[in-house]
Amino acid sequence: MKDLPQSVFVVDDDDAVRDSLRLLLKSAGMACEVFASAQEFLTSYEPAHPGCLVLDVRMPGMSGLEMQQELNLRGAMIPVIFITGHGDIPMAVEAMQHGAFDFLQKPFRDQELLDRVQRALARDTENRTRLRHTDKIRERLATLSPREREVLDLVTQGKANKMVAGDLGVSQRTVEIHRAHVMQKMEAGSLAELVRMMMAVAPPR
Amino acid sequence: MGAPTADVLALLEATFDAVVIMDDRGRISAFNRAAEEMFGYRAADALGRNVSMLMTSSDRAEHDEHLRRYLTGGEARILGKGRDVRVRHRDGSEFSVFLSVGQIPDTQPPQFVGFLHDTSLRRKALATLEQERQLNRLYLDLAQVMLVATDRAGVVQLVNQRAIRVLRMNSPQIVNISWIDNCVAPEDRAIARNAFRALLMSGGDEPQSCEYHVRSSEGEDRFITWRGVALRDTNNVATGVMLSGEDITDQRRAESEAHRALERMNNVSRLATMGEMAAGISHELNQPLAAIANYAQACSRFLRRPEPDMPEISGALEQISGQALRAGEIIRRIRSLVRNEDVRRESQNINDLIREVHALLASDARVHDGRLELDLAESLPKVTVDGVQIQQVLMNLVHNAFEAQGSDSARTQLNGTPFEVRIATRTTDGGDVEVSVSDFGPGLIGEVEQKIFEPFFTTKPTGTGLGLAISRSIIKAHDARLGYRANQPRGACFYFVLPAQLEASR
Repeated sequence: MKDLPQSVFVVDDDDAVRDSLRLLLKSAGMACEVFASAQEFLTSYEPAHPGCLVLDVRMPGMSGLEMQQELNLRGAMIPVIFITGHGDIPMAVEAMQHGAFDFLQKPFRDQELLDRVQRALARDTENRTRLRHTDKIRERLATLSPREREVLDLVTQGKANKMVAGDLGVSQRTVEIHRAHVMQKMEAGSLAELVRMMMAVAPPR
Repeated sequence: MGAPTADVLALLEATFDAVVIMDDRGRISAFNRAAEEMFGYRAADALGRNVSMLMTSSDRAEHDEHLRRYLTGGEARILGKGRDVRVRHRDGSEFSVFLSVGQIPDTQPPQFVGFLHDTSLRRKALATLEQERQLNRLYLDLAQVMLVATDRAGVVQLVNQRAIRVLRMNSPQIVNISWIDNCVAPEDRAIARNAFRALLMSGGDEPQSCEYHVRSSEGEDRFITWRGVALRDTNNVATGVMLSGEDITDQRRAESEAHRALERMNNVSRLATMGEMAAGISHELNQPLAAIANYAQACSRFLRRPEPDMPEISGALEQISGQALRAGEIIRRIRSLVRNEDVRRESQNINDLIREVHALLASDARVHDGRLELDLAESLPKVTVDGVQIQQVLMNLVHNAFEAQGSDSARTQLNGTPFEVRIATRTTDGGDVEVSVSDFGPGLIGEVEQKIFEPFFTTKPTGTGLGLAISRSIIKAHDARLGYRANQPRGACFYFVLPAQLEASR
């Protein structure tokens, strides 16, 4: 499943602002999809679709902030750039605290928006790559037998085969065989690579 | 028994007191003219008879006994002392006299002379005096003001009930103590002392005024406005002061509350108007401005391409002009918002509206040390207005008027002329209702008069320049005009004429 092209999703209730943003992004050669409300966006949003979100803070119905919270609940990791009017700084601060990528006060220079959009898209790519990588590791981990998983955990803690054999109450030879299977199934070329893989999928502390 | 000599008789006849002489057995030997008048007996009838006939029955029985005891070397009951006794008129009525008795020297057997002074008149006078005193006390105690008299050292001589109640002390606690040191709140003692001194030194009888707090025995401070006069003796030397004080604590509190309410109302309306308008304007205008900026920047980018996308560019240009018009429309909408075109209009008596805000405005006047006068014509036709809006206009105009007179330069110029603002209503020749707010300040000078109604024009350091502009648009929304004319003899006059309501719809 190779990448879909990236899109900039614009959500703004003001027709003129929304349309002008579409045109501006288009003039910079970016693919763009526009939505008039948070509900409209959430209905059609496909998390697999890479891109970033340009979101008006102040909208009737579901506000930009509420939409951000909804996305967080859904576990979506799309970067969000908030657009605020004058006097909406407290809202912008709140948005940043909830993990917004950036915010912009309107009216703004085109380059300010485009730079932020570029960075947000780059972040999205990064996120997705990392996500794909960890997904793969998890798939491989799932193929290990319980004994192989035990050996992997002890080996990646830095224990030598002899110690692992002692811990598990098996012969050193048996450990060596399990370990070879682990390296093969995890597609790891070295112990160091195996350790990096385990760190990537480890729950954050 | 020797008869009185001629010169003694002359003396007896000349004295106002009744004189009766008797011998050692109580027999009357002289009875002067005053005695004749007092008792109703002629001297000829009295002479030789026992003096007991002039006495009441209770005294009569004892008299001979007293006399006998004295003559046998006993005590003198009355001799040389004198006392009040009851005596008996010939017609049987009894009355009081002051009787003094003396033994006539060198008489043997002894003779006695009695002087009788009619005290019923004196008694009556004393009774009248006592009555008057009680009445005065009653006056003092009935008075709704505090009354305090002190001597010239400031020691309390007299207080009335009202003062006792305010001070929560009883009369003996207050009398004979220093007024200022015991009853005046410590912070105000200097003020009270100065006022007291000024009062003692004042020449005329004109009462002098001052205001200070008294402190009750329970520690409560009450704010009192005093009027005082110096008390003088017959040589016109001040012997003390008499103070009459009115407790205005509650009144002041109510006024300052009214004033705070006014301040709040001013602030709220100003802040609300300005704040909401500013937020509204900025947000509303921001949208088209942001769109215009985006479209224009997109156009530049398209134009930098080797083959510009002309349809997109021309579409964007159309959008730009459309958004600029939208911004203009927003501004027009804000202006009509200020005009408040869909307000609630009701048939009103303009005088009632003015009286309703009078308390608030009077409090404003007090803050500026001025006076607010109402000059309202009776039987005005009714007008159809939004009462609250018209009241806002009035408050704005009155506030401006006091501020115009309140500046230091204006005060110097005023110097003697009344520092007052006048709200007047009248029926115009055309039968409509004119409302005017006049002051005696410097008036509008030169170009100020031209610009005074322009939004954001202000002569005040902290003014917004919106008060008159908003007032004018409110009045305009009532099909009237807020105008300015010079006040006579000086000052400014803002006025507006509201159309009279048609007779049929009254």
